[in-house]
Amino acid sequence: MMRVASLFLHPSLLALGLPMNRGQPMVIAFHNELQLQESLTLEQIRAELRGLGAALILVARGAVFVFQPDDEVDIQGSNIGIRAAAVDELRVACGFAPGAPAHELSLVVLSGGGSVVARHSLLATDSRLALKGLAEALSIAGTQAIGPHPATISRREVVLASLVGAFALLTADGCRPHAPPPSGPAAPPVPINRARKITLNVNGQAHELEVEPRVSLLDALRERLGLTGSKKGCDHGQCGACTVLVAGKRVNACLTLAIMVGEAPVTTIEGLAKGERLHAMQAAFVEEDALQCGYCTPGQIMSALGLIMENRAHTDAEVREHMSGNICRCGAYPNIVSAIQKARLETVPS
Amino acid sequence: MRNFDYQKPAQESEAIRSGQTTGARFIAGGTLLVDLLRLDVEQPELLVDLSALPWRQIEVAADGVRIGALVSNSDLAEHPAILAGFPALSQALLSGASPQLRNMATVGGNLLQRTRCAYFRDVAVSACNKRKAGSGCAALAGYSRMHAVLGVSDQCIALHPSDMCVALLAMDAVVHTRGPDGERSIFLADFHTLPGAHPEIESALKHGELVTHVSLPKTSFSARSAYVKARDRASYAFALASSAAAIDLDGQIIRQARVALGGVGTKPWRCMEVEQALVGRPATREVFQAAAALAMSDARTTEHNGFKVQLARRVIVRALERVGGVL
Ligand SMILES: Cc1cc2nc3c(=O)[nH]c(=O)nc-3n(C[C@H](O)[C@H](O)[C@H](O)COP(=O)(O)OP(=O)(O)OC[C@H]3O[C@@H](n4cnc5c(N)ncnc54)[C@H](O)[C@@H]3O)c2cc1C
Ligand code: SF4
Ligand code: FES
Ligand code: FES
Repeated sequence: MMRVASLFLHPSLLALGLPMNRGQPMVIAFHNELQLQESLTLEQIRAELRGLGAALILVARGAVFVFQPDDEVDIQGSNIGIRAAAVDELRVACGFAPGAPAHELSLVVLSGGGSVVARHSLLATDSRLALKGLAEALSIAGTQAIGPHPATISRREVVLASLVGAFALLTADGCRPHAPPPSGPAAPPVPINRARKITLNVNGQAHELEVEPRVSLLDALRERLGLTGSKKGCDHGQCGACTVLVAGKRVNACLTLAIMVGEAPVTTIEGLAKGERLHAMQAAFVEEDALQCGYCTPGQIMSALGLIMENRAHTDAEVREHMSGNICRCGAYPNIVSAIQKARLETVPS
Repeated sequence: MRNFDYQKPAQESEAIRSGQTTGARFIAGGTLLVDLLRLDVEQPELLVDLSALPWRQIEVAADGVRIGALVSNSDLAEHPAILAGFPALSQALLSGASPQLRNMATVGGNLLQRTRCAYFRDVAVSACNKRKAGSGCAALAGYSRMHAVLGVSDQCIALHPSDMCVALLAMDAVVHTRGPDGERSIFLADFHTLPGAHPEIESALKHGELVTHVSLPKTSFSARSAYVKARDRASYAFALASSAAAIDLDGQIIRQARVALGGVGTKPWRCMEVEQALVGRPATREVFQAAAALAMSDARTTEHNGFKVQLARRVIVRALERVGGVL
């Protein structure tokens, strides 16, 4: 068995022709079933590596994936083929037995000089768990490394120390993916940019914007597109103030994620009037004095348009029942019903 | 709201694969999930959007109806085959939530909707076994007027709030699922689970398993069915007690009966004792009342929700009167 001071000089690593930066800490992880198809976890791993300035080498059956902290584009890492014998050699060089046991995730942490400073094995029954465990360990390491340490201490030394701690913690915890970070001063983990480009078709106009998946249609309309006619009353689907039409159907914009709207046309209160000419429903609300403070009114009007297109409410009682999703704190209900009945006879469903 | 990732698979197999990820949640209409995300009760890492999957069909065949999991609550309620063949289902759907919410809400999402227990929905309350196993139950010592009285345990008394599921239960519905281990068909009666010692487990569905559709068998009783819901206001409120009833009549004599309750159980509740007392008897108010009196005998009430016992018996009678031609 061959032993060298720096693993970076080990023939089995050199033979792979890996783009190794001496002086940079590195994690080598072995797992037989590793498959890199989960973009979420991978994205997280990448972000953590960037934060840490460490490289990661994942050795699976027949393939080696290399992640550098600063390569941005290719989420899959670079993929190099490897023979089973070479995997065993590398395992031995890292201090593990040859012939990886099934379901075992084995990790070594190398210092910038290429010496092994930590070595751990975790049980990870599948690829997903292995990646999760790895991402979690990197994240914990990142949290510990970034916050409390002034520039006088080599950041990489800190990284290494905390990686060791993180792996130990995961091992002790049986590789539960949600192991809590150890106590101590913590800084927020490296933020992950999850924003996506979407196109919202609002009132006949296409708007390109970049939103995180958590952004509601209501917030996208109000905060991003400046369309503040749709109101936020409760933000929980209970009041109807945010009602808009999506593909001609009335929905609560507060419970709709903007990213889920897709190409569907969105109609808001701003899209009703033609220049100075009010839509018949708007005019009816004015004529029938169907509001006091007016906060619920845009939602009432959009909901009323939905109701007319559904064509199921005819009597006053039916209108009340089918407008029950719109609460009016001022109690303008009688006049709202009159306005809808008036406009219903004038509006042709489009 | 916390951040999470988002995927919109075009294929069922892809959705199943993504759904296996720890921290993944499916999202359909979003009316439950977005609400719980905003409350921080649900903290997924990945939302798998089901809306691109081809599950929006309602297929009518000689032996029943097959309803895709993405059919909206509105579309299902208004479908001619449901209005004519399963009126209790249509009425139950139309009694739930608001028109806006029904446009968004799907059949799959409604099946899997979670309790409205105020303590469950408030993360500032630390004791909730459903949210955090072993943390206790704030409702037991708290205000429990809306909580369940049937199927409760010492760990949880949360109400199952769905109207749709009550009607589906009375119509012998079957839930069809697909997951990494293949397909399963589960009777609605077996789909939801009792809280017992594990209120955090709410259904037979496994993590990452999808509901693909629900089937309703054609029966002799489904077409003569009704749903009655008692609530705090005329519309747009959860049930205090509700009942789906269906009967098959041979002249005046009841040949078969189905009675289910909502608003009272930790899951949609079927009342077999009431059904048995109806079969072979004439469809009269007296028979309905005598049968309904047998319901709720296992009720375990709190200081605030004892009224549900009488109310539930009365909504059963109302629903039976509607289908028995007595009203
Ligand atoms: C203000 C308000 C009032 C309401 N009032 C009532 C009422 O009176 N009566 C009533 O019955 N309901 C009521 N609801 C609840 C409403 O019916 C549910 O929120 C709705 O049915 C959920 O459907 P969804 O498609 O929006 O679900 P989502 O929010 O998309 O999903 C709900 C859950 O189901 C899971 N899921 C969804 N589809 C599938 C699938 N195909 N396979 C596997 N898992 C899936 C999701 O992962 C999630 O956990 C009310 C809701 C609100 C907000
Ligand atoms: S009743 Fe159930 S959901 Fe409500 S607080 Fe108790 S444990 Fe939680
Ligand atoms: S803000 Fe959307 S329903 Fe209240
Ligand atoms: S007019 Fe004030 S809330 Fe309706």
